[in-house]
Amino acid sequence: MHQISKLAYYFVIVLIILSINFSLPRAMPGDALSYLTDPGADIPVRMTEEKREILLAYYGLDKPLSEQYITYMVGIIRGDLGWSIYYSAPVLEVILGRLKWTLILVGTSTAIYITLGILLGATSAWARGRKRDMGLLISIISISSFPSFFLGILLAIIFGIKLDIFPISGAQTAFATYSSPLEEIFDILHHLVLPAATLVLSHIGGTYFLMRNSMLGVLGEDYIMTARAKGLSERYILHKHALTNALLPIVTMTAMTVGFMIMGTIFVETVFAYPGIGNLLYNAVSYNDYPLLQGIFLFLTIAIVGANFIADMIYIRLDPRVNHE
Amino acid sequence: MIEGRKILGSIGLGILTIFVIVAVFAPYIAPHDPHQMYRPMEHPSSSHLLGTNDIGNDILSEIVYGTRVSLFIAFVVSVISMLVGTSLGLVAGYFDKVGFLIMRVVDVVLTIPRLPLIIVIASFIRPSIWNLIALFLIFGWTMPARIIRSEVLTLRRRYYIDATKMIGGSDFYILWRHILPNVIPLVVVQFIMEAIHVILAESGLCFLGLGDPVAMSWGMVFHYAFECPIIYVSDVWMWWMLPPGLCIVFTVLGLTFVGYALEETFNPKLKNPFGGMER
Amino acid sequence: MTLLRISDLKTQFPTPDGIVRAVDTIDLSIGERETLGLIGETGCGKTVLGLTLMRLLQSSTKTEGTIIYKGTNLLKISEAEMRRIRGEEIAMILQNPTTSLNPVMRVGGQIAEAIRLHQGLSKRDAKEKAIEMLDAVRIPSPSIRVNEYPHEFSGGMKQRVMIAMGLACNPSLIIADEPTKGLDVTIKSQIMKLLKEVTEERAMLIITHDLGVARELCDRIALMYAGELVEYATTGEIFEDPLHPYTRGFLGSLPSNGLVPIPGMSPSLINLPDGCRFHPRCGHATELCRRKHPDMIEIEDGHFVRCFHA
Repeated sequence: MHQISKLAYYFVIVLIILSINFSLPRAMPGDALSYLTDPGADIPVRMTEEKREILLAYYGLDKPLSEQYITYMVGIIRGDLGWSIYYSAPVLEVILGRLKWTLILVGTSTAIYITLGILLGATSAWARGRKRDMGLLISIISISSFPSFFLGILLAIIFGIKLDIFPISGAQTAFATYSSPLEEIFDILHHLVLPAATLVLSHIGGTYFLMRNSMLGVLGEDYIMTARAKGLSERYILHKHALTNALLPIVTMTAMTVGFMIMGTIFVETVFAYPGIGNLLYNAVSYNDYPLLQGIFLFLTIAIVGANFIADMIYIRLDPRVNHE
Repeated sequence: MIEGRKILGSIGLGILTIFVIVAVFAPYIAPHDPHQMYRPMEHPSSSHLLGTNDIGNDILSEIVYGTRVSLFIAFVVSVISMLVGTSLGLVAGYFDKVGFLIMRVVDVVLTIPRLPLIIVIASFIRPSIWNLIALFLIFGWTMPARIIRSEVLTLRRRYYIDATKMIGGSDFYILWRHILPNVIPLVVVQFIMEAIHVILAESGLCFLGLGDPVAMSWGMVFHYAFECPIIYVSDVWMWWMLPPGLCIVFTVLGLTFVGYALEETFNPKLKNPFGGMER
Repeated sequence: MTLLRISDLKTQFPTPDGIVRAVDTIDLSIGERETLGLIGETGCGKTVLGLTLMRLLQSSTKTEGTIIYKGTNLLKISEAEMRRIRGEEIAMILQNPTTSLNPVMRVGGQIAEAIRLHQGLSKRDAKEKAIEMLDAVRIPSPSIRVNEYPHEFSGGMKQRVMIAMGLACNPSLIIADEPTKGLDVTIKSQIMKLLKEVTEERAMLIITHDLGVARELCDRIALMYAGELVEYATTGEIFEDPLHPYTRGFLGSLPSNGLVPIPGMSPSLINLPDGCRFHPRCGHATELCRRKHPDMIEIEDGHFVRCFHA
């Protein structure tokens, strides 16, 4: 029952997002699509007559709104997100072409920051109020105060330019020829270090604080005392009793922070010219490529909402109490 | 821990005070008119402490005036968000039916990812600080509304609110006299959280080129520096990019410290002598 | 035979408001298979005393005195040795079974883990033992219930699980903290019956504010007020010949005696009154009680009381 109502809720959310995406270009003051109908519009979007025709056909501005909406929805279901003005290709194709790099970046960073965040958070809670806890707390508060793009640029300047140990641009060396697949993997990892480090550092705070708070709460619970009254060792109690309970809220919140991380790629990929979807969004903004921009918006938003949905589902499976309450 | 709280709180307050003074007295503090054009790309000197940018504006003066813009946006958004969020939270917590409706809206708005939506809307509309403020406000009220509501629900369960009702206090009187004073600490903490969020989000939008090109905030100064092709290959970043970046960092840090100190003061974790692990 | 002898026991912990003197110079002993009741109002320090015996308090807590259990001073042994005592020699049943059971662990696993630790049984054997224990505390269909989570149990059933957990390693002493709190009358009498059986085979310290429970189960009773003992005698004498005004007040507050509450509130353990700690609430207090702190005296053989006027 719980799962079904959740499913319905997320379905409504996706519907709302799709509708926002539909209405945005049509509802903007001064008609944001004026560049389509009027070649002399003040928004400087240069395109050929042929492209204009494709776009006009996609938006179908001459048809009634309800018909436009139906066409739009059917298009979405078929995977038609429109036509990119700048890349002169279907939006979905452009996005999927970049997807691999974003997945690599987000995947690696997520794995690292969750592990690190949980470990540091648990360490901090375990050492509550002592030097190690305070040191970690203040360092992580400080790092979290940096906007991710600023942190990225600082890392690029220090490790990429001054020390010159990591590349600061792209996902692979341009025009490289590799003698072995291993060499290629190394090159990719080498390029991944700084963007991933930036993402990890600027997002670790969320997981760290959650874990710390959650763990502090759990350590004060009566059942921890019960476990100790049984004569169990501190290590056993930490692993078997405290961690499982403390991790429950982390699961949900972590999937949400994956959402933040996906947003973070917009900045980090821009700083490091990493050829993923975030960088694509920056290009779309710079070139006023509205169809592409909207396509990416839809793609990112649904990915983030999807992550939240998965989090909810995992939580239901993990916590034996949820199904009964 | 108690000591740490006081020290961090004072440091935070100190940092914020400095920035507020800079913002208020910008015309007296800035050495030059930020729109005045001098020789472009000058290195720091006694007449231009942080040099000049690509079109010859004095960078220090730009940053001093930028303090105004950055803090203004954060302040206005946070104040309005708190007013709207607190009122709706109070109403939603006190009247069940309206509350249910408000909370469904809050759920939906909170589930839709903020940043992508703000980016996509911002790129359709002409960027100006008022547009940015309006965009941030769409989301800003939701979190305080949710938190205030759940606090009101807890407060309502306390007996004295029913007692007041029995002696004939009106709903408004109860909300105003008994519930509001109890949620003020939460509102203050939420205000700070929102301010942090807006400072970071605004700078992010500026970085992507979606800021107001007329009202130069710290983020915009940073954006133009990042767009400059020679920023990495010379030392220009040290006076053009680092100072606005650090201003953002220190403001956020100051707000975080104050927020942390307030939270620890208002909501001290019950020191349970039976709890916690022995080592 | 004395199983446990506590002498001069003091437990204090620092708080932002000052030092809490939760247990203040307490002497007690429990014989083998004896059941001792520790009675007092909420906040008098009786739970802290229980936790002190188990050495389960935070490291910031200061403990002085001696706790001699089977000839060893529990306050002098290492943490590892103490862990061997906990659960196997002395078990504690904490109050409030709802929060004292781990919500995300199966009930059987929570009983079995102590058995596996102390008796080195395999996972399968420990589970068999857990089923046995659930059966022993009269939980129906134990082989099914063993795989369930705490939230699937009712309040009384959870208390039974707690008792099963305490009994699991067959300890010589069980400390039961408020074992009947929050249970309705029928369930309460069932749990009391169960506890009565438990007390036949081992020593037990029952911490409670419920004199009825103590009368039913205990051989001797110690009354605790503001961190110290005020009267200590056999159950019969406490009920027939109470000497301390606090004990009389406590008895008077029983439903069968007309529910007359003791006036006033028990003092905070941070700011204790001068003189006798009970004098602000005592109807017989004199100038002496206000100025001088009375010692515990043995009025009759085995009947101790802390009052000038007893």
